[in-house]
Amino acid sequence: MTRYLLRRVPSAVAVLWLASVLVFLVLRAVPGDAASALAGPDATPDVVAAIRHDLGLDLPVAEQYARWVGGLLSADLGRSYLVGGDIADLVADGLANTLTLTLAALLLAVLVALVLGPLWAVSRGGWLDRALTAFHTAAVALPTFATGVLLILVFGVVFRLLPTGGVPPGGLLDRVDITAQYLLMPAVCLALPVSAVLTGFLAETLRAELRQDYVLTALAAGVSRRSVVFGHTLRNALPVTMTALGLQTGALLGGAVLVESIFAWPGLGLLVEQGITRRDYPVVQVLLMLSVAVFVVIQLLTDVAHAWLDPRVRLGGAR
Amino acid sequence: MRRLPAQAVVGGVLVGLVVVAGLLGPLLVPHDPYTQIDGANLLGPSAAHPLGTDELNRDILARLLTGIRVDLLTSFVAVPLGALLGCAVGALATVNAALDVAVQRVFDVLLAFPQLILAIGLAAVIGPGATSVVLVVVLVEIPVFGRLLRAAVLRVREAQFVTASEVAGGGRGWVLRTHVLPNCRGPVLVQLALSMSVAVFIEGAMSVLGIGVTPPNPSLGSLLATSLRYLDLNPLFAVGPLVVIAALVLGFGLLARGAGNPALEAA
Repeated sequence: MTRYLLRRVPSAVAVLWLASVLVFLVLRAVPGDAASALAGPDATPDVVAAIRHDLGLDLPVAEQYARWVGGLLSADLGRSYLVGGDIADLVADGLANTLTLTLAALLLAVLVALVLGPLWAVSRGGWLDRALTAFHTAAVALPTFATGVLLILVFGVVFRLLPTGGVPPGGLLDRVDITAQYLLMPAVCLALPVSAVLTGFLAETLRAELRQDYVLTALAAGVSRRSVVFGHTLRNALPVTMTALGLQTGALLGGAVLVESIFAWPGLGLLVEQGITRRDYPVVQVLLMLSVAVFVVIQLLTDVAHAWLDPRVRLGGAR
Repeated sequence: MRRLPAQAVVGGVLVGLVVVAGLLGPLLVPHDPYTQIDGANLLGPSAAHPLGTDELNRDILARLLTGIRVDLLTSFVAVPLGALLGCAVGALATVNAALDVAVQRVFDVLLAFPQLILAIGLAAVIGPGATSVVLVVVLVEIPVFGRLLRAAVLRVREAQFVTASEVAGGGRGWVLRTHVLPNCRGPVLVQLALSMSVAVFIEGAMSVLGIGVTPPNPSLGSLLATSLRYLDLNPLFAVGPLVVIAALVLGFGLLARGAGNPALEAA
C-alpha cells in the first residue's frame, strides 16, 4: 500500500502544481489592466500606480505567483478586487450553501441508483427494462440547464407548487420544511444525470456479477433470488460503483455552477458566475483552483480506496 | 448492407431534423431574427408568430432557427476539429516514448479540470462570443480524443495481424496508418456522437453563465437562458429552445448508443 501511495500521491501533487501555474498564467493573460479598471476612467497615473502597487501587480510575475501560492497554502486566499473583502470570507459564505445542495443531490443520486440499479439488472426485455433504458438515455443526454428550466416551468410557473429559486428568507436552518421546498428542484436537477450514470453502471456491474458461478451455487443451495441480488452481488458491485461515483465529481462540480446560477442558489457557483461577469479575477482564480483541488483530491481518494479494496490495482504496473 | 440499429435511425432522424431546420429554417420564416416589431412585446403564440415574441419584440421562431446554427457550428465543426487534433497528437505520441510521457502529463492537467470549469477559465481569457465557444469546445475535446486514440492504438497494436505485418517488413508509420488506425475507428465514432452532445451542453452552459454568444446574436442556450428571466410573462418562450435542445442531445445520445458504446450497450 505504501508503495502504491508513493507512486500515486506525487502525480496528484504534480497535476495540482501544473494546474496552479495554468490558472495563474491564464488569468494574467486576460486583456485589460485591473488597476486602471479599478481606479476608473478619470484617475491620474499616480493613483493607478498606487493601486497597482497596492495589489502587488508591479512585482515580477514569478514573485506574484509565489505570493499567490504561498497565500493559498497558508489559507490566505487574497482579496476580491470588487467587494474588497477577503476571498476566504466569500468562500466560507458560499461553501455552506454549495455543500448543502451537493450533498442533497449526491444522497438523492445514490438512493435512486440503489433502487433502480438492481431493478434494471434483473429486468430483461420487459416494459420495465424499456422504461429504465428511456430514463437512462434521457437523463444522461439532457443538459442540466435544460432540465432546470423545464422543472421551473412545470413546477414553479405552471403549477406554482415550488419556489422558482433562491434560498429560504430565514436561512437554511430556520425551518426544515421550507428549506426542503427550496432545495428540492435544484437538488433533483443536479442529481438527475449523476443518478442515471450510477444506475447504468450499477446495473451493468450487477449483471456481470449475476453471471458468476457463486450465484448459481447460492441459488442451487436454496438462497432466494432477492437475497442473492441484495445480499451477495450488490455487496460485490459496490466498490466499483464507488469508483464510478468518484468520477462523477467533475460533473457534480460543473453542474453545481449551472444549477446555482439557474436557481439563484447563493453558493460558490454563483460566486464564480458573478466573478466572471464583474471581471473579479482573484475570486475566479481561487475558485477555479479550489474546484481543481477538490476534483484531484477526490480522484486520489477514489483511487486509493480502489487500490485498498483490490490488490491487483495496488500491486500492478503503472497503468 | 448491414441493418442499422433502430436507436441509430431514430437518433439520426432527430439530429437530421434539427440540422435541416437550422440550415433552411431561417430562409423560410418571414421575420428577421434581429428586427424589433412594434407593439409585439412577449406575446404568446399566434398565426403571425407561432412561438410568440421575446422581451425586445423579436420573433422567437426566427431567432430559434437562426440560433440552431451556432450549435451546428460547435457540434459539426468544433468537435470534428478537436477530434482531428486530438487523434493526431494521440497517434503521434504512441510512436515516441518520451513524447508520450510529455503528452500524457499535459492531458492529465487538462482533464484535471472539470469540463465546465475549463470552459469558464478559457472564456475568461478569450472573452465571450461564438468564437470562444468554438475554441473552448476544440480545446476540451483534444485531450478526450487524444486519450481515446492512444488507448485504442495500444490495444490494436497487440493484435497478431499487426505483429505479422511488422515481421513481414512493414515500417512503423506504414503499419500504424494502414492497419492500426483503421481498426480504431469504432470508439472514435461513438465518442464523436457523445462529444457533439457535450458541445451543445458547453454552448448552453456558457450562455447561462453569460460567457456564450453576445447579444443580439441568438443561440439555443442563450434563448433558453433569456427565457428563464421572462417565464412569468411568457412561459411558452422556453418551450421552443427546450424542444430543439432535447431533440439534438437525445439524437446524439441515441446515435452513440446505436454505434455501440460498450459503456451504454449494457442498457
